[in-house]
Amino acid sequence: MLRFEQVTKIYSGQRVVDCLDLEVKKGEFLVLIGPSGCGKTTTLKMINRLIEPSEGKIYMNGTDISRLDPVQLRRQIGYVIQQVGLFPNMTIQQNVDVVLRLLKRPLQERQERVRELLAMVGMDPALYAERYPNELSGGQQQRIGVLRALAADPPLILMDEPFGALDPITRESLQDEFKRLQEKLHKTIVFVTHDMDEALKLADRIVLMKDGRIVQAGPPEELLRHPANDFVAFFFGKKRKENEIYLETVDEVMNPAPVTIRPEQGVAEGVELMRRRHVDSLFVVDKEERFLGQVTIESLNREHLRAHQIIELLDTNVPTVLAGSKAETAFRIMTEQRLKYVPVVDTEGRLVGLVTRTSMVNALASVVWGDGISA
Amino acid sequence: MKPLLILALEHLYLATAGVFLATLVGVPLGILLTHYRRLAPVVFSLTEMVQTVPSLGLLALLLFVFGLGNKTLIAGLLIYSLLPIVRNTYTGIRSIRPELIEAGKGMGMTRLQLLTQVELPIALPVVLGGIRVALITAIGISTIGVVIGTGGLGQPIWRGIQMENQGMIIQGAATAAALAILAEILLTALEQRITPRGLRKRKAT
Repeated sequence: MLRFEQVTKIYSGQRVVDCLDLEVKKGEFLVLIGPSGCGKTTTLKMINRLIEPSEGKIYMNGTDISRLDPVQLRRQIGYVIQQVGLFPNMTIQQNVDVVLRLLKRPLQERQERVRELLAMVGMDPALYAERYPNELSGGQQQRIGVLRALAADPPLILMDEPFGALDPITRESLQDEFKRLQEKLHKTIVFVTHDMDEALKLADRIVLMKDGRIVQAGPPEELLRHPANDFVAFFFGKKRKENEIYLETVDEVMNPAPVTIRPEQGVAEGVELMRRRHVDSLFVVDKEERFLGQVTIESLNREHLRAHQIIELLDTNVPTVLAGSKAETAFRIMTEQRLKYVPVVDTEGRLVGLVTRTSMVNALASVVWGDGISA
Repeated sequence: MKPLLILALEHLYLATAGVFLATLVGVPLGILLTHYRRLAPVVFSLTEMVQTVPSLGLLALLLFVFGLGNKTLIAGLLIYSLLPIVRNTYTGIRSIRPELIEAGKGMGMTRLQLLTQVELPIALPVVLGGIRVALITAIGISTIGVVIGTGGLGQPIWRGIQMENQGMIIQGAATAAALAILAEILLTALEQRITPRGLRKRKAT
């Protein structure tokens, strides 16, 4: 969709953006982040040519954008800015359909589109279309700012700290709303922020910049788990703890030594094992430690007279999670299916651990009260 | 001498004509200056300099070019009115929040669209304020026109001085003052009407 090739921007001798190579895939939510003055906003504004690069080329769908008419280019790119920038002399209708008007679309189509868009963010068109920006709250104004960028249905949207000036609660609700919107619309989005939480929440891929260069680019997880250098680690450092609940994988919260039993072992052995280890389920694995299923105390109590071997009581219908998946996934399975635990298996199907309600509580506790309580 | 009403209308015509021409020149000039900002201080000090020349002196100088009559007065008024109109147009546009300009450009407006759809509508009340100041000044200055042979309310004042007729002087002066006040009231009202609803100050709720 977008490709930066050795793009450099020099302001009075200073390389604000320095030999930037970057590719943005179609449908990708790319977040540019970094300390102030790192060149992230400059990078963004070179895409719609509000700023021209000093060197290098930017390609959109294979076309060098410096060869396009900037006015035509901008009409194909949505643009949302931090200060919202709604035109105070225009109604909400006129603000939202401004690009459609520039494209000379008929009035009826424009009105319909505005109604559709307002409804999409839960604002009653009958109530809001004829109002003026100064009659709306800050959050509502930025909703309109986002709708204005979406109006002409551009495939690419640029967002320059769009939620930065809002209070924390409004910001979060707009982020959530926008994320939902994006899941429906699948736009390609280049999003600038200095807010780490925002980046982690929204990004498919984060590009961390410093002094006009990319320090590291990758999915949020990757930057958190494998920071390329101390700067990245430091930048994400504080956030990492705060967000433990999102970031931990099942490997970190699981009990690595669940009580196992072989299918050919006797039922009596199973009962004895449960009594000794104070558990009410046993996990059945074969010689290669591959997970087969479970036996519960209920089935043992019920069937111990009839059955001789564990395999006869084996319950194979047990949901599992793959090692390395997010702890959240395991937690969700447990809550949704009302399970007390979820076995963790590796790609070969070997049982490597067990996520229990206790590990869930411990992980939550470590987020709320800090580390040290974690199992 | 003509009846007072005719003189008043003449007076109004002269003042309005000068200001009208100044608007035709001043507004585009002000807009132009927002694009060539380095020129702005030069133009402003030039127009301010002109402003300091006494009106009688300026009219006398213009007399050499245009000769006796209305033309000279209107030219003088044009020059005097230029400063408030150019300045208000310039500051009106310059004081628009920069993010609005950025948003307009970012949406894909051409220079002209940005001017007509964003800059001018928002700056219009300020521009009109400049025109109002210019018109009120022009109504005052127009009374001097009588010395270079124009009509208007300068005539009863001048005649009254010569004839030592105080009533006549007051007639002319009071009417001119009334015209200025009327212009002030009308243009202030127009300014308020013309302000886009979204830009009017909201009453505290």
